[in-house]
This record gives sequence, C-alpha cells and structure tokens, in this order.
Amino acid sequence: MTHPPRGNPRHAAIGAATLLIGLLIAWGAVAIPSTAGYAGVGPNFLPWLVAVVLMLCGALLIWQALRGGFRLLETPSGAERGDWPALAWVGAGVLANAALITTIGFVFSCSLCFVLAVRGLRASEGKSAGGVVRMLADAGTGLAIAAPVYWMFTKVLAINLPGLTGSGWL
Amino acid sequence: MGDIGAQLLAGFATAGTPINLLWAFFGCALGTAIGVLPGIGPAVTVAMLLPITTQVEPTASMIFFAGIYYGAMYGGSTTSILLNTPGETGTMVTALEGFKMAKNGRAGAALATSAIGSFVAGTIATVLVTLFAPVVAEFAVKLGPPEYFMLMLLAFTTVSAVLGQSTLRGMTALFVGLAIGLIGLDQITGQVRYTGGVPEFMDGIEVVLVAVGLFAVGETLYNALYEGRSVATLNRAGKVHMTAAEWRRSWPAWLRGTFIGFPFGTVPAGGSEIPTFPSYAAERKLSKHPEEFGTIGAIEGVAGPEAANNAAVTATLVPLLTLGIPTSVTAAILLNAFQNYGIQAGPQLFQTSSALVWALIASLYIGNVMLLILNLPLVGMWVKLLKIPRPQLYAGILIFATVGVYGMRQSSFDLFLMFGIGLVGVVMRRFDFPTAPVIVGMILGPLAEAQMRNALSIGEGHWSVFVERPMSAALLAVVVAVLVLPRLARLFGSKKT
Repeated sequence: MTHPPRGNPRHAAIGAATLLIGLLIAWGAVAIPSTAGYAGVGPNFLPWLVAVVLMLCGALLIWQALRGGFRLLETPSGAERGDWPALAWVGAGVLANAALITTIGFVFSCSLCFVLAVRGLRASEGKSAGGVVRMLADAGTGLAIAAPVYWMFTKVLAINLPGLTGSGWL
Repeated sequence: MGDIGAQLLAGFATAGTPINLLWAFFGCALGTAIGVLPGIGPAVTVAMLLPITTQVEPTASMIFFAGIYYGAMYGGSTTSILLNTPGETGTMVTALEGFKMAKNGRAGAALATSAIGSFVAGTIATVLVTLFAPVVAEFAVKLGPPEYFMLMLLAFTTVSAVLGQSTLRGMTALFVGLAIGLIGLDQITGQVRYTGGVPEFMDGIEVVLVAVGLFAVGETLYNALYEGRSVATLNRAGKVHMTAAEWRRSWPAWLRGTFIGFPFGTVPAGGSEIPTFPSYAAERKLSKHPEEFGTIGAIEGVAGPEAANNAAVTATLVPLLTLGIPTSVTAAILLNAFQNYGIQAGPQLFQTSSALVWALIASLYIGNVMLLILNLPLVGMWVKLLKIPRPQLYAGILIFATVGVYGMRQSSFDLFLMFGIGLVGVVMRRFDFPTAPVIVGMILGPLAEAQMRNALSIGEGHWSVFVERPMSAALLAVVVAVLVLPRLARLFGSKKT
C-alpha cells in the first residue's frame, strides 16, 4: 500500500513567501497610473505582469510543496542540519557592523565584525572558539585587513567611508 | 572595415599607457586571486568594486574589471586541480580530470595545460572579438526596439529556463529580479514606482547591494550554517611543466575547446560552465587514451574545458559591447558599470566611445600575456592563498562586502538590507533556486521594459509588431524553441526508459 506523498512545510513556506511578494507588487501596482500613450501599455503594465507571474509561481510552488516537495531538487551541499549558533555569531557580526559603522568608524566596526564572524565560523568547524588571547589575535588580523582597505579606498580612490575621526586615517 | 587595424593600434596606444597597464595588471592579479579563492567569484568582486566608478575614469575601470573577469578563469582552475573544490563554476569540469591527475603526481602538467590552454583560447577568442564585434555592431544598428526586446526576452528565457534544474524555480528567481528592477523611476514616463516615499529608492536598488548580499554574504552565512564539517585535501603543485607527449595531446584539445566555448559566450545561454560540458564530452570521445579518463586523469579532459571556459568568457564581450545584452552575471554587472558612467552599451558604443572599446579589446591581448606569466612561473604564489584558514577567509570577505555596499551610497541602512538579502541567498542556495536570474532580471528588466514599450509605440499599440518584422519573428521562434525543445526531449527521453 502506498502512502499519499507528504507535504513539505519548508517548501510551502517559500511558496507562500513568493505569493506574498506577488501580492505586494499587485498592491503597489494599483497606485501606478496607466498613462499609456501610443504604446497602449503604460508604466503599470510590467508591475501587473510581475505581480501575476509571481503569484502564479508562488501558487505552483505551494502546490508542489503539498505534493511531496519541489520537483527536480538537487541535494544541497554540506551538512544535513544547520549550525544555528554559528550563523548567529556571523549574523551578529554583520548587524553590529551595520549599526556601529557611522559611530565608531569603518576600521573598528569592520574589525569587530571580523572577530565575531571568525568566532562563528570556527565554532562551525567544531573547534573551540578560544580565549581572550585568540580574540585579541583575531582583532589584530581584522585591523590588519580593515585599516589598509580603508586607506586605499579613502586616500587613493577618494571613496567616502566613515571614520572615527575626520582625519581619514582611522 | 579596413580600419580595424588602425583602431586596434590606437587601442593599444591607450591600453599601453603606464596607468592603464597598471590597472590591467591589478585586474589580472586580483582576478587570479579571487579565482583561486573558493567562495568568491568575478561577479561579486566586480560588484564590490563598482563604487570606484564614481572616481576612476571609464577606460581604466573597464580594463580593470575585464581583467578580473577573465583572470578568474585562470585562477579557478588551480583550485579545481589542487583542492577538488572548483574555484569558480566555470572550472567545475576541470576538477574531474585535473584532480585525478594531481592525485597521481601530475598536478604540474595539469596546471601547465590549463594555464597555456587558457592563454591560447583567450588570445584566439580576442582575435575573434576584434574581427566580429565591429561587424555585429554595424548590423545591430539596424535593429529596432522589437528586435532588442526579443533578444532580451531570449536572455531571460535561457537564464531562467535552461540553467538549473527546474523552470519554475528559475522563473521565480527571474521575476523576483524583475520586481527589484521595478523600484525607482520608470524610464519612459518618469513615473515613480515602489519607492514607498523613501528618496533613496528613486535611483532604484543598487546592483552591488543585491549581488554582494546574495553571493558574498549569502555564501559566508551558508558556510557557517552548513559547511563547517566539510573537509578538503590540498594536493602538492610540484613542478609546472609538460612533456612533449603532453604538448601533443593538449593542443588539439585547446583548439577544440576554444571553438566550442566561443559560440556559447556569444549567445545568451548562461554561464561559462555550460560549454565545458560538451568540451569534456568531446575530449573523452576523441581521446586515444580513453582508459585514463576518470582513473589516473587524462590531460585532454583538463585542456579542452579550460580552453572552452576562457573562450566563452571573452566571447561574452561581443553581445555586451555590440548589443548591450549581458550573457552572464559578470557581464550584467559590467553593463551596470557602463550605466554608472552614463555610457549606453550597444551598437552606438563603437561610434560614441570607440576609443574606450578598442582600448578594452587591446587590453585583452595584454592581459592574457600577463595572466600566462602570473599563472605559470608564479603559480606557487597563488597556491599559498589556499592555505588561508576558512574562518579568516570568509570573515575577510565580509569586510570587502562592507566596502562595496557602503561605499556605493554611504548608507548604513544598506548594510542591514545586505544581511537580509544574504539570508535570502542562503534559502535560495539550500532549496536549489538559481541566483543568476535575479541579477540579470534586475539589470536587464528596466531596459527590456523600455524596449517593449517603444516597440509597441512603433506598432501603435498592436502586439503584432513583434511578429510582423521578420527578425523579431525569427527571434520569437528561437525563444519558443528554447522553452519547448528541452521539454519535448525530456518527454521522449522518459518514454524510452
């Protein structure tokens, strides 16, 4: 006896997200006037097309998800289960960088991001994150990457990156 | 067309100035480095460096970006051969035979045939670009909006339906990209769309942000989440040289690879990895040593695909420069670089910016010579890059990602957005959604929309304009064929088994 194929909740969630994006695009498309002119289609044509197709894709993805999951799926590389604490460390690094870059400057903010990200990635390899000495060494490495990058972009290429001081060196 | 020689010579004069030579060298060296390093490719590197377009003059930065693009193909093979993890998607097939050769102590020969093969293919492909690009440009001037729209439709179709396993997931990715492309001012009427009242969105979402988020940040997060326990062993490089017998076996494979690879680059059929498969299959079929394939490693299996990916990368410049149509993700980002300068890539480019175009083409000849030197005698230097521990490598990539994203618009809000897009990138990779259609969709979408509406204006609002013009109708037939033929083949294939 064969069981009916089981639904895949994760796949269904992705389908639902796609459907939602489609709905949002449609909601926005309502407000766009259709000043069509000679073409017969105006600035609201593509938004409606994108909205309809995305809703259709979302619906089809959900349909596949409920019938055993996406078709022709390639097995993803890497471990079967995600290492969420490692992801949290790396994510914290990126977010801290985003939050602090304008206050403590590019060099220190990026070094902090580096330290947190290295900690997460090292943990994902199953190695111990190391103590204070290790962390200081990582901070040193981070500074050694961030500072020259900062100088190259601000001094040589004249691209505006935030600093702690106005000197352009830190 | 007799003036191609004179224009190329003028191009060499521009590309040969010390400052432009320096940019070419930086591009080639950086390209090789990121090619060697797994986890970071030419598309995202060029994207991260897009902020320099606000400061550096166009010729220099295009020479620099192009150097990164084809340099990555040289570097990627080194990683494929020594580490069995492809440095780039275009060098995946190289790993098949290259890694086997390295295991049996013939890494040196594999590295040599891939570097010299890349040089041969890159140079022949550059000659073909020199000869064909002006002809195509001359022809392309005659194309109108309906034909351009059809060409772009073809690019959309191939990138979403042919690449990847599932057309549905490819289409989803493409339309998400098109949705991102909608944000900002409508090109024709100037109508504001999807800005939500945020003034920063008037110029649209930056390509840097999406590319860096999806590729660099997404890759780093994916690595932390899933790849921690994956281990790779590094083979020794040894002495890089080939015996006379290996030369004899390599050169026909290089030539075959070049002529398989070049056409693939010129049509919108996706990435540099596509032609490496038919090239590998051809070498396997034609080889006098079929027993070496998959066992001790056959040199033809490295030489052919390596030539094919380099020829394809160089060939992508033909549609990019003459039609303004990108056939790979990196080409799409190069198109964005042109847009940042306010330069319209397309047939007029050869008239309005001919100095830039010819300097760029001349720099390809120069760059290939530089890369041969960088990758043959100096290969040991690049191998050292593979010893960088994984945590430091990916954490370092995040610093560069910050430079690119923040440097473009000086907005820390973009850095939060970058993290969000990175998470989307992880989901896409985990559930086998292709990412290339997102980038191509967001860059090409607004252009395609403008061409479509211009075409309909010509046809006075009648959609029949797309089938009444013979060129446009023919292109439409190709689009339909691309969509239908693989399905029919699959249908017949499944009936047989």
